[in-house]
Parts: sequence; structure tokens; C-alpha cells
Amino acid sequence: MLITEIKPKEEILAFLKEKKSIFVIQCYGCKEVVYPFDEIQKFLQENSINYVLQDYLCNHEYSKEYINKCKEQIENAEMLLIFSCGVGVQSFSEMLYNNTELKIKGKKVYAGCDTLYVNGFQGLTATEPNCAQCRKCHLNYTCAICPITSCSKSLLNGQCGGVKNGKCEVDKEMDCGWEKIFKKSEKMKDKNCVLDEKIHLHDFKIIP
Amino acid sequence: MEKLLDYTKYKLKPKEEIVELIKDKDNLFVFVCGKCYKEFASVIPEDCKELYPILKENGKNVVECETIDFLCNRHHLDIRKSGFQDGLKKSDNVLVLSCGVGIQTVANFLEDKPVYAVADTIPQEGQHGIALYNNKCAGCATCFLTATQGICPITNCTKELVNGPCGGAKNGKCEVSKDKDCGWEKINQRLKVTEFNFWELPVQFHKYNRVNFKISNKYNTAVREKRSRNFYGGVYPFENKEYTSEKPIQQFPEPETVEIPLSQHTGAVCESLVKVGDVVKVGQKIGDSKSFISAPVHSSVSGKVTAIETKPHPVIPSGVTTITIKADGKNEYHESVKANKEYEKLSKDNLIDIIRDKGIVGLGGAQFPTYVKFKSPKPIDTLILNGCECEPYVTADDRLMIEHPEEIVGGMKILMKILGLQKGYIAIETNKPQAIEAVKKTINNLNLTSAIEIAELPTKYPQGSERMLIKKVTGKDVPLGGLPLDVGVVVNNVGTSFAVYNAVVNGLPLIKRIVTVTGEKIKNKLNLEVKIGTPVSEILDYCGADLKDGDYVLKMGGPMMGLLQKSLEVPVIKGTTSLLVTKKPDIKLSSERSCIKCGRCVDVCPMELYPLYYWYYKNSKSQNVKAELDNTGLDILNSKSKHGATNCIECGCCEYICSSKLPLIDNIKEMKKEAREVKS
Repeated sequence: MLITEIKPKEEILAFLKEKKSIFVIQCYGCKEVVYPFDEIQKFLQENSINYVLQDYLCNHEYSKEYINKCKEQIENAEMLLIFSCGVGVQSFSEMLYNNTELKIKGKKVYAGCDTLYVNGFQGLTATEPNCAQCRKCHLNYTCAICPITSCSKSLLNGQCGGVKNGKCEVDKEMDCGWEKIFKKSEKMKDKNCVLDEKIHLHDFKIIP
Repeated sequence: MEKLLDYTKYKLKPKEEIVELIKDKDNLFVFVCGKCYKEFASVIPEDCKELYPILKENGKNVVECETIDFLCNRHHLDIRKSGFQDGLKKSDNVLVLSCGVGIQTVANFLEDKPVYAVADTIPQEGQHGIALYNNKCAGCATCFLTATQGICPITNCTKELVNGPCGGAKNGKCEVSKDKDCGWEKINQRLKVTEFNFWELPVQFHKYNRVNFKISNKYNTAVREKRSRNFYGGVYPFENKEYTSEKPIQQFPEPETVEIPLSQHTGAVCESLVKVGDVVKVGQKIGDSKSFISAPVHSSVSGKVTAIETKPHPVIPSGVTTITIKADGKNEYHESVKANKEYEKLSKDNLIDIIRDKGIVGLGGAQFPTYVKFKSPKPIDTLILNGCECEPYVTADDRLMIEHPEEIVGGMKILMKILGLQKGYIAIETNKPQAIEAVKKTINNLNLTSAIEIAELPTKYPQGSERMLIKKVTGKDVPLGGLPLDVGVVVNNVGTSFAVYNAVVNGLPLIKRIVTVTGEKIKNKLNLEVKIGTPVSEILDYCGADLKDGDYVLKMGGPMMGLLQKSLEVPVIKGTTSLLVTKKPDIKLSSERSCIKCGRCVDVCPMELYPLYYWYYKNSKSQNVKAELDNTGLDILNSKSKHGATNCIECGCCEYICSSKLPLIDNIKEMKKEAREVKS
């Protein structure tokens, strides 16, 4: 699950300037996920650029076939413009450089999209609960509300004190995660809650 | 193909921690997530087998253990709720073996039960995309990949530097983590190869404030809303209806010969009523059967029968006895074709007889004999006319509704009379505003606003599927393996209603239909009124199909459910909604692809099935597959089970969305065959 936004047009056009032949690859963002298809289409039409449409650019085998299919076009193009999420651009460029059959090692790659982080996508569905994959799960002490993701400051020792009417001081639209944790622990009378526990430390180096 | 690793998303917490955690807790209920992104070696995660002994050693009572795939998808918890509700009530504490998203989802779901995590989530490479490779994206909303030529500095550099190396690298390894390659060294090498002038670019800044909770949450909510709109699952393929949606229906020129198969319906094949050399007229019955589920066929031209032999058929691969008629060009009507001025006085049984006699079948593609639906042994309280036409490309029903709303509404009146109903619905997707307008106007003109209601439904595939349609319009659930009749509903296509009107009022049997001819390989994309039996090749020639290079795919029907045609020597039959000619797929993939368990198919299946398990079942080399699958409680071979393969409606959503491009529908068809054998 990914969310991509098209880069500012000026930024893309600045790269396109003085380039004669461009090869554009569009990844139809995991199908059905947020992908600015119409905007990109409009941009390409305005600048009369042809494109190849593909989905699941990050699927290696599939992309490999595509590279072989569009061999000539890629070889002849001065630059490659890729509209895809970060993983797509990286996978594709990596493959280009590892492909010894093609003489395209020196092709310049341009990314046309910015990728946004979205809640809960580790779990495939874009749901509200979010996980930072920090390898040290604190949920047992916080009534299963994650302090890392639902507190702007990822605090582990309770509220920062900057909360107003239950809203975060960093982002006023966001509920204070710690307020939620306290309320839930009161309701559940949870013995394990952080309030009665020894202080937890977040071990950042646990992720290699 | 590169071997996929077992992309475990979580691992069991250390034993000591679990023992400490469960010290003062008993009567445990365990939720286990089947994991996403993993090699399909077994269904039940290894960690689960480790957890049990720990619980047992400590003398804990495990009330129940529920394995749910894609636990983060709240919908799965909801639909399986009835299965584990009782166990949950008896338990005091809930343990969840899942990644953080799954644990939190369960916590939200249960609210008043304490939920404990027994797993830690591990960060994974590449999981932001669908495929499992080494690249990772931080989703930081300021993509530097252009500047760094496809190697991300945010995820590859420990310090997330964007302006070049820090200088601490030794022998190409990071100073923070000595196992890690220095991302900037890699970037430098690539910049050399591409001769990209990074150093002259303006200084790069990482805009941390670009990802804002509000923005991502807005998208996030939109995605979920779009997916669950109207009914669970479904997809939004490119519609491509604009090719033909503005093209008025044209008459296709009289064919010289027609080939009329004796089976153009679900049910028994007809027996020929004519022999070679006979002279037939337009509308003359040339085939009929005594079976209950069957429909007669009629000649669509006047002329001479030249052959009766087995010929290729668009639906039945082995071919069907087909009557070939050479047209004489006179188009004389048979005496049975005469207008019925007093049709309003006809009784219910007379009307049903006419519908049978004139060979009316469902024109949406399924070709089920229409009269059978009206001889329902069960009481019927609702009639729905299906004008959804959710298949991409096809516009036959759309044009029919725009150009012939009177006949459609007239036909509906007749059908409502047969069923003795006061109220009926015409369901149309909102992507057909002209059709909605036309039908609405007709209903107003005929003062039928109280009797016929237009149900405007959001555009989504497969909205036109009977089950989804009934659920949306009436709120009723058709039971598994059941028919719409079981909930007192009859669904007919708008084209069928049009044909019923023609049959009852004008006495005209079903001898022609509207066919959309479209696709990239067709020059003149048209909506044509074609006589049944017209050879497909003639129609394609007429529309300027470019087939010489052999680089084409011909489908009868839409791109999702249409039937692939190997031969051009097939005729148009009653169920031909469209002739779609597209280019062959750009690339061929090897057959050794494997499922990466991304779960997209589960997310889109409108029947709430698990298509990936059918794939696993048919393609797994492991011997214990069946036993393992049974352990999960899916029971996929049982037609009565919620997850049985026989429930599949073959809408093609899973195959469309599959990130590994697996031929899931063919696989399911095989599964169904097997399931039927198990039953018998």
C-alpha cells in the first residue's frame, strides 16, 4: 500500500529541459492505490511525452521482461523518467545496472513522484493502527495503543504535557496517544499498564 | 526466479518475557496472524508452534486459538466473529501473535478485553512495494532518487544524509553499523557510471514536514472508503467505455449466411426441427427441446438450410450442432411473427409461454432461459432490471437504455405483471448519466414513478453481479450456493426486458441483439445490432479489425469475464454482449511464478474468499497441504463452507489485482471441478 504524489511540474521540467529523447515508465501504483494517474497523464500529454504503462514495477521478474521488451527504446533514450513509488524506482534502476546484456548502464534515471508514508501499510490495508516496526513491541504496557506511532514525539514514559483538549501540541488534528492510553487503562483497569511498571527504554540500536 | 525469503513480519518475544507476561493471567485466547509476504511453505506460522509449549509449561488454559490471515484487515475479524465469539467470552485475556498493526487492530476490535502482544515486529526490506526485494522506501514525500540515480540515501545511509558521505566509511562499510555498505559510496559509483552531475545540483534538504498526518490520513481514509464502498472488495479497472458510449446503435448489414448453434443457453441442447434443404423464414423456430431448462432457437434470416453439423461454438469448446442457413435476401417473416395488439389482456401463463416460445434467455452473458425464472416455486417479491454493465469497454446496454427506454420499461411492466408485483427496480451505475436520464424521463412520461424506481449505484466492478446487486438494492443476502429466488428476487438484464417487449408486443423471437465491437485493434469501434448467427469474422471485417499480424486477443464479452476465442469461425450468439479485440499482453511470464502472499486478492474478492489458498492447494508440492488447510478451518473444498471454492463467481478481480500475475481464475475452475468430485 503506497501513496504517491507527482513532483512539482517545474522540478520535472527542469530535468527534462534539453533532453531530446525520454522514455517514461509509469507504474500503475499497486493498482487501485492512490496514484495520481490523471495528473501524470495530463502532464505527459501537455508535454507530449509517450509512455509505457506497467503495474507492479517492483516485481522483478515482471519488470525484467519489460526491460527486454523495450530494450531498443531504453537504449535510444537519453533519460528514463519513472513515475512510481520509491521502491519501484529503486528496483528498476538496480535492475538496469545489473543487467549485463543491455548496454544501458549509463542511463540516467529520474523519479517523477514523491512517496508518502501511510498508516498501517505494513499490514497491507491502510488502516488507522500504525506500526513503526521498531522490533521492540511496547503494546503490552500501553493497552495495545502504540506510543511510538500515536505520539508525535514517540514518548515511552507518558504524556509530554503539551496536550490541549486531548489534541497533540505538534499536530492539532491528531489525538494525543497518551491520553488514549490512560483512558483505556482506566476503563480496563489493566494491571500491566505502564503507570505501574518500571520505566521502559526504547532501544534504537536493536534494528541492525 | 529469485527465491523468495520467508518474509516474516514478526517474531515471537523472548521466552522469559512471555513467561513474565502470562504469570498472573489465565484462560487465554490466542489470535494468530497467518502472516503476509512469505513463501508458501506452510499455512501455520512456526512461531505459533513455539508458543504453545511455553503456555503449556506454565500450566495455562488456552481456551481457543484462532488463525486469521491478514489480521490487520478488520473486515476479516468481523466476518469470522461468529466462529470465535463463544470462546472469546469464556476467556479472560487475549494474546496476539502478529505484527504491530494486527495487534492494534485486535485491540480496537475487542475494546473491553485486555490484549497482549507476544511478538515483536521486524522491519522488512521492500515491503512498501508489493514485491519482496532489497529496496526500501521511507515514504518521506521528498524523493531524492533522481539526484542519487536510483539509490535511496534515506534508507541506505544510516545517518539519512542527503548531501554526500559523512566521511566515516571504512572499506566501503558504514561507521555506525559495520555490516552495512555505505550508501553514499554506492551512490558515488553509480553517479560515475551515469555521469550525472549531482555535485552541481543545489543543496538537497530533507523536508521532514512534508509528511503530515493530515495529508496521509486523508489519502488513507480515501483508500479504505473506496475499497469498501457499496460492497466488500471489487476493483476499479480502466473503463474505456468512451470509445463507444457516444456511438448510436447501427444496423449491421444483412449477413449472407448465418450459423445458428442449437445451444445458446444454459441447459439442454435443442433438437433440430429442420433438415438440410428446407426453406426457412425469419423468426421460424428451427430448434427446440423438451427439457425444462432450455430455450428454443429461431432463424434470423429467410433462406435455405445448407448444413446441419458440429461447428465451433464460442462457449462450448468441443463444438455444438449448428444449423447453417444461406440467406435469400428477402427477409420474409414467418407467420408466427405477428404483432399482438391485445397483449395487455394476456394472462400470466400466456406471457410465460410466449417468453419461452420466443427463445428469450438472459442477455447479460449467462444465457439462462428467462421463463424458468418466472416459474419459481418460491414467492417472488422483487424484480430488478440490471443495467449496471460494470464490465469495462462494453456499452451495449448503455446505448440500449439511451435509445430504447420505452421498450425496456414496457418489458419491465410485462415482467412485473407476470410476477404480480407493484414495485420494481432498474439498477444503473452512475457512470451512465445519459441512460439514467433517458430511463427516468420514460418512467415519468408513463406515470410509473411509484411502480418503478431507479437505483443509481456507484461505479465499481463487479456491481452488476447478481449477488452484489441484490444486496445493494434490497439489502438481502443470497445464501451461499443459493439463487436469487431463495430471497424472493428475480434479476433480469435490461436487454432481456427489451427482448421480452419485442416478443410479447411484436411477436418477434430473439433473433438479434446489440453487440459492442471495441478494443485497441478495432478501427471503427461501434455498437451494432447484429442478427444471431452472424459470423464473428464478418463483423470484425466490417469494423476494420487489424488482425493480420496475429498480435491480438479476441474476447466475447468484457475484458474481465469475457470468454477467450481461439477461432474467428464462431457465430454471434444470444449471450454475445461484446466482441473485444485487444493487443496480446506485452510480455510473457514464465509459469514458475509463485504467490508472495500479498493478500491483494483477499482484499478485492467480493465473495470474501481466499483465492491464494486455492493456488496454494493446487500448486503446493507438500503432501500435507490438505490437512494443514483444514487446520485453519477454511475447508476450501466444501461447497457449504464460507470459503469453499464453489462460491467463486469468477468475476476475475483476484486475477486482475494479482501482483505475481498468476492465472487464478483457471486455477479456481480446476478447484471447482475437484470440489464437485469430492461432493459426488
